[in-house]
Amino acid sequence: MSPLVGGLQKTTNYKVVLPFYIYASLGFLLGSLLLLFTTDAVGAHHFNPQTLAVTHTMALAWGTMIIFGASHQLLPVLVEGKLDSDRLAYLTFGFTAVGIPILIYGFYEFDMGWPMQAGAILINIGVICYLANVIGSSFKKNKRSVHAWYVITATLWLFATTFFGLLLVLNFRTPILPGNSVDYLSIHAHLGIVGWFVLMVIGVGSRLIPMFLISKYTNEKMLWCVFALLNLALIAFSVLYLVTSSPALLYIPIIMGLVAIVLFGRHCYLAYKARIRKSVDQQVKTSLISVAQMLLPFVALIAALAFLPNGQFPRIAMLYGFCIFFGWITAIILGMTFKTMPFIIWNKVYHNKAHQGRTPAPKELFNDDVYKIMLYSYLAGFIIFIIGIIVLNAIVLKIGALALLIAAILYVYNVMIAASHKSKL
Amino acid sequence: MDVKTNNSEKCDYALQDLYNVYDPEIGLNIVDLGLIYEIYFDDIDKKLTCIMTLTTQFCPMGDAITTDTRNSLTQSFPDWEITINLVFDPAWSFSMLSPDGRAYLGR
Repeated sequence: MSPLVGGLQKTTNYKVVLPFYIYASLGFLLGSLLLLFTTDAVGAHHFNPQTLAVTHTMALAWGTMIIFGASHQLLPVLVEGKLDSDRLAYLTFGFTAVGIPILIYGFYEFDMGWPMQAGAILINIGVICYLANVIGSSFKKNKRSVHAWYVITATLWLFATTFFGLLLVLNFRTPILPGNSVDYLSIHAHLGIVGWFVLMVIGVGSRLIPMFLISKYTNEKMLWCVFALLNLALIAFSVLYLVTSSPALLYIPIIMGLVAIVLFGRHCYLAYKARIRKSVDQQVKTSLISVAQMLLPFVALIAALAFLPNGQFPRIAMLYGFCIFFGWITAIILGMTFKTMPFIIWNKVYHNKAHQGRTPAPKELFNDDVYKIMLYSYLAGFIIFIIGIIVLNAIVLKIGALALLIAAILYVYNVMIAASHKSKL
Repeated sequence: MDVKTNNSEKCDYALQDLYNVYDPEIGLNIVDLGLIYEIYFDDIDKKLTCIMTLTTQFCPMGDAITTDTRNSLTQSFPDWEITINLVFDPAWSFSMLSPDGRAYLGR
C-alpha cells in the first residue's frame, strides 16, 4: 500500500466554469424560444434562415458552451492532470460568447456579410484557445487514458467543424471551395455532430456514468473499439459524400456509427448492472435515457435513405436534426448539469467549511421538484414535437415547442438557484 | 472492514468522530463506506497517521473529504500532528462497505 504522490486531482476554479453553464442555460432558453416562433419552417428545406439559427443556437450556445464548461471542470478527471491555463479558458469564453450571438443573428437575418463572418471568426479563435488548453492539459503527462484521447480527438473535430464552417460562410460571398456551400452542409454538420458531440459525450459519459452510479465496471478495449468505429465512420462518410453519388454506400459509415452507439449503450447498461448504489437518481436516469435517444437519429436517417420518396426528405432531415439537438444532446445535458454543477458550487461554498456542521449534499443545491417538472415537460415536448414533424400539424408543433420552452425556463431557474447558493453554515 | 491500528482504544475514539465525516455525494459516512484503511499513533512524538482512500481517484469531492477527515482528527486529537495518506492500492470496492453501509446503499 503506497501513498499517492501529489494527492488528489485539483479541481478547476469555479470562476472558469460557471459562466459557461449560465450562458448555456440562456442558450437553451433562446433555442426553445426560436423553435416556438419558427415552427413554420419545419415543412421547408433545412437550409433556411430560421432552421439554421435554431440549429446553431442549440449546437453552439447550448451544447458546445455547456460542454466547454463541464469539460473545463472535468479535464483534470479525464486527462488525470490539472487544467493547463485558466486564462485560455477565459479567452475561450470571451471569444465564443461574443461570436455565437453575432453568428446566430447573421443566420436569422440571412446576412452573409460581416455578422456571419465576424461571428465565425470569433468562434474559431475561441475554439483554438480551447484546443490549446486541452492539448496543454493532456500532454503534461506521458500517458493518456482512452477518455483523454476522446476529448483530444473530439476537440480536433470541433476545430475542423468551425473552420470548415468559416470556409462555408466565406464561400457564400467569395468562391473558395469547388462547389456551392449548401453542397457541403452535411459534412459540416456531421463533423460537428459525430466528431464533436458524439465523441465528447461518449468520452466523458464513459467515465462519469460509472462514477455517478458508483460502479466498478470498466472496459477500455470496448471504448477503444467505439473510438475507432466513430472516427472511421466520420472519415468514411466525408470521403464517400464527396466522391460518390450512390446513397447506398453511405450505409457503411451509418452502420459503423450505429454499432458504436449500441456498444456504448451496452457499456452503460453493464455499468448500471454492476452499480453499488441500488437507487439511481433522476439526473443519472435522464442521462441513461439520452443514451437510448442516440438511436433515434439513426432510425430517421435510415428511413430517409431507404423508405421515403424524395418529397418527404426535408421533414425527415428536420426530424433527424431535432432528435439530435433537442433529443440526446439536450437530455444528457439536462441530466449531467445537475450532477456536475452542484459539485462545482458545493466545492466553492463548502470546501473550507468542512466539519463546521452538517453541509447540504450537492443534490440539495437545486430544487428537485422543479427538476422533475422540467424533465416531464421536456419529455412531453420532445415526443409531441416529433409527432408534429411527422403529421406536419402547426398546432401540435406549437404545443411541443411550448412544452420545451417551459422545460428551458425551469432549467434556467434551477441553474440560477444553484449558482446563487449561499452557505447555510 | 476493520481498520488496522496499533492502538485500538485511540482508534475507536478517532472513529467516533470520523463517523460524522460524510461523502457528500453518497450521503454515507466514510467509516461505513470503508474509506479508512489504517490509523497509527506515535505516542512519543504525538503523531497520528491516517491511511485512507476514496471511492474513485477522480472523486470531485476528494479534496473536501480529506480536509474534513483531517479536521475531524484534529478535533479528536488537538495536540497531535495529523498526517493523511491517500492511497488507491488497494482500490476501494464493494467488499469494503460495512454491513450498515451496504444496508444504506440498498445492498
